[in-house]
Amino acid sequence: MRVYEELFIIKPDAPEEEADQFIEQMRSVVTTSGGTVDKVDKWGKRRLAYRVDKYREGAYVLVQFTSGPDVVKEFERRLRVSDLVIKFLTVRIDQTLKRLDKRKKNREKRAHRKPAPVAAAPAQLPGPPVGEPAAAE
Amino acid sequence: MAEMKGRPGSAGQRPTGGDKAVATQKKQYFRRKKVCRFCVERIDDINYKDVKMLSSFVAERGKIVPRRISGVCAPHQRRLSDAIKKARNIALLPFAASA
Repeated sequence: MRVYEELFIIKPDAPEEEADQFIEQMRSVVTTSGGTVDKVDKWGKRRLAYRVDKYREGAYVLVQFTSGPDVVKEFERRLRVSDLVIKFLTVRIDQTLKRLDKRKKNREKRAHRKPAPVAAAPAQLPGPPVGEPAAAE
Repeated sequence: MAEMKGRPGSAGQRPTGGDKAVATQKKQYFRRKKVCRFCVERIDDINYKDVKMLSSFVAERGKIVPRRISGVCAPHQRRLSDAIKKARNIALLPFAASA
């Protein structure tokens, strides 16, 4: 099983109910073929950085799901066929998530180890300033 | 930006070999050592959805700011350019801004 992130843009002039209906449809595409939808996030309308199909803005929708690779194929086919969607991007993120998790754990481990040297350092620091005036004389 | 301060005339266009150039040049000027923002702030995740962050590494015309200007380290620049290219694909960032 892999974790994917699908970000797609729905036409700005499409009615809200129709968009919701479409998102529900996509949700069922994933679930019927054995995957699970982890997150659906509607960003709302935003300005596009460039014109896409004569549209200057669009409603972004982010869907995160866990499934096998064949689900993505079907998902993308549906997006391509749909009249509502003007652009989409699929990103596989399970490896990235794993890497981030590892880094975070490493960082926490290091944070646990650190307190000892930090506590020891201030004790040593007052040393040099005391010696300095003596050297100046 | 502060990094470009004190550069005489056309030298700004020429890529000098990082910080090594300072010592060899006769005319001395102070240049601040650039540090990678992602290393300093401990940002692990350079995400393509974070438009606000990415746009600070994109020049006015939509180009990716080179490492020698921004000071980002090589591993992070790699991830950064990947993220910017993804963001361009989904119209979060421009390929070329008409400025």
